[in-house]
Amino acid sequence: MDWTPLLLSAKLAFWAMALIPIAAAPLAYLLAFGRFRGKSVLDAIVALPMVLPPTVLGFGLLMVMGPRGVAGAAWEELTGGRLVFSFAGILIASLIFNLPFAVQPLRASFEKMDSRLLESAAILGLSPAAAFFRIILPNCIGGLAASSILVFAHSLGEFGVILMVGGSIPGKTQVASIAIFEAVEAMRFNDAFLMSATLIPVSFAVLMIINKLNARRP
Amino acid sequence: MLCADMTKRLKHFDLELRFSCAPGAITAVVGPSGAGKTTMIRLLAGLERPDSGTIAFGGQIWAEPESGVFVPARKRGLSLVFQDYTLFPHLNIRKNVAFAATDMDRVDTLMDMFGIRHLASSKPAAISGGERQRAAFCQALARDPVLLLLDEPFSALDVATRRNLRANLKELKGELNIPVLHVTHDLEEAVFLGDTIMAVENGQAAPDWLHRQCMLPQQYPTGLSRHAPVRSS
Amino acid sequence: MKRIAAFVLALALLLPSGAMAADLLIAQAANYTTIMQEEIIPAFEKATGLTVQATYASTGKLYGQIVSGAPFDMLLAADESRPEKLHADGLAHTPFVYATGQVVLWSLDKKLCSKGWKSAVQDPGVKKISIANTETAPYGTSAMQALQATGMWEAAQPRLVFGQSITQAFQFAFTGAADVGFIAYSSVFTEEGKKGCFVVVDEAPPVVQSGCILKNAPNPDAAARFAEFLVSPEVQAMKLKYGYK
Repeated sequence: MDWTPLLLSAKLAFWAMALIPIAAAPLAYLLAFGRFRGKSVLDAIVALPMVLPPTVLGFGLLMVMGPRGVAGAAWEELTGGRLVFSFAGILIASLIFNLPFAVQPLRASFEKMDSRLLESAAILGLSPAAAFFRIILPNCIGGLAASSILVFAHSLGEFGVILMVGGSIPGKTQVASIAIFEAVEAMRFNDAFLMSATLIPVSFAVLMIINKLNARRP
Repeated sequence: MLCADMTKRLKHFDLELRFSCAPGAITAVVGPSGAGKTTMIRLLAGLERPDSGTIAFGGQIWAEPESGVFVPARKRGLSLVFQDYTLFPHLNIRKNVAFAATDMDRVDTLMDMFGIRHLASSKPAAISGGERQRAAFCQALARDPVLLLLDEPFSALDVATRRNLRANLKELKGELNIPVLHVTHDLEEAVFLGDTIMAVENGQAAPDWLHRQCMLPQQYPTGLSRHAPVRSS
Repeated sequence: MKRIAAFVLALALLLPSGAMAADLLIAQAANYTTIMQEEIIPAFEKATGLTVQATYASTGKLYGQIVSGAPFDMLLAADESRPEKLHADGLAHTPFVYATGQVVLWSLDKKLCSKGWKSAVQDPGVKKISIANTETAPYGTSAMQALQATGMWEAAQPRLVFGQSITQAFQFAFTGAADVGFIAYSSVFTEEGKKGCFVVVDEAPPVVQSGCILKNAPNPDAAARFAEFLVSPEVQAMKLKYGYK
């Protein structure tokens, strides 16, 4: 049996976990502390990937990230390579798909923070950006960890969106969930079973960690 | 010198205050709760903007809506001690005190003076309320502020700690040589600490409020009690 | 609260329940959806007065459902192997061929079609070539065989992207995500297919779609009539129109 899809899924999940705070933290910050017009609109846009069927989101991403789409054309201009059907492509798609799942717990932990800590930081001379890194993030480390690990778990089993923009290229975009699906379709039930049997305990362990983190948060 | 002539529309009344505070002196601000004292402190700190008027400090305008000038809190160089400490939970006491300080010797001196040197490596959650409030004072003073704002800093403390901190503050007053604004509902404290006493009621200066309080025999059977009333009737 | 409950109830009653009585229930491979819905089923219903219902899904899924006992009358597959397997396992009668499809190379970029499919595949400007899953989708297998027969399979490998079905392979090409795609000739006749150009891949073996009537068919007579109708001259004309033989 070929273990490449499982390793690829792990790699995708790891990168998604590592990179998601860069996208999620500023959005969570804006939604938690921002006072601006159109906040509810931003809120809805961020939550959109959660309600859209993955195939619909995936088709949209295929259009935008394809060489005839804005993002895809810019990427091709910059790197010479194609964004869809690449590891970077499925990673970006996963990040977008996972955004609401990461923003919600982060935002909740930001909102739980005592607002006077931020006022205190401002009085002591901290700019909003400095306060974000020196005060907010260190005090929301539990929320940050929970959101990242949730994204890890979610990416491990991610299927619909990757199916739409990945192109199932072995070693590049053929992640475990797709390999399992293909194995079932081809009636290679043994392969499908072995891969699933590996995926389940890993996912279970990750969920246990999330529960631990959530329980520990004050 | 702090000069303020400001208005702010509040829910039940308009805050309209006009006063000045000299360096080296403590201005005790008294008045019933809900009188707008905390809003006044927040306006001076730059956490809120006045609707009109001018807040100026040492010849610099901090806030003046008419001319669009507003210096944000972080650029005012002042310190504020809240009623319940606002230490940063993830930092130990020494790091909290040194948070905005430039002179580390001053940090140590202050921690000695307030008796919290031995707590340097403790986290705020691990020490008592009194100790936390001492640390908050050290944090406020360690940055060498141009103005010190105190919003009922002693009200959550036990009597002994309160007395100690009051003594510390009085001792420091001359050395600091900055204006100190001290909001309190404890009249005895106001009299003990304040060089000037400013009474505020419904957002306005109420010079006779203190006088009226003193005239309430049931609440002050022996003159100024240590347990001053929280509310006026 | 009562009003909401009433609304939900009304909605539930108004929505199609899907369990309408039909005289014939067909498990149809999804690639044949359009011609079935637009032409064959209406014509058959008109000719016989019977009502036909079809479930459209991938051959693999339908096969799985049938093996698990789904009450279909017949399976119209996208390949030959699944009906044969059902027959071998004693679940179906002898399979019959009902349509033959052809692999074509399709592109949004009309220049690419002018020099034949082999030069299009080798064109340096072509970064990605879409193809259906070579293991499970018959059109994918056929396209792979064409690439192998012309000795281009190895060289094309790094540029291949795989759709789960022939429809997805077309989707990749149609959105421009893949520069060219191996698709079904029948897709060329769709609204989207007309927006690009195509070349017939002669080296690709025809994709034989066969069907079978199930042994447990609830309506064996209607199924037999439908099987007969599928190879009638009337349907033959429809197939040509939709890119099948």
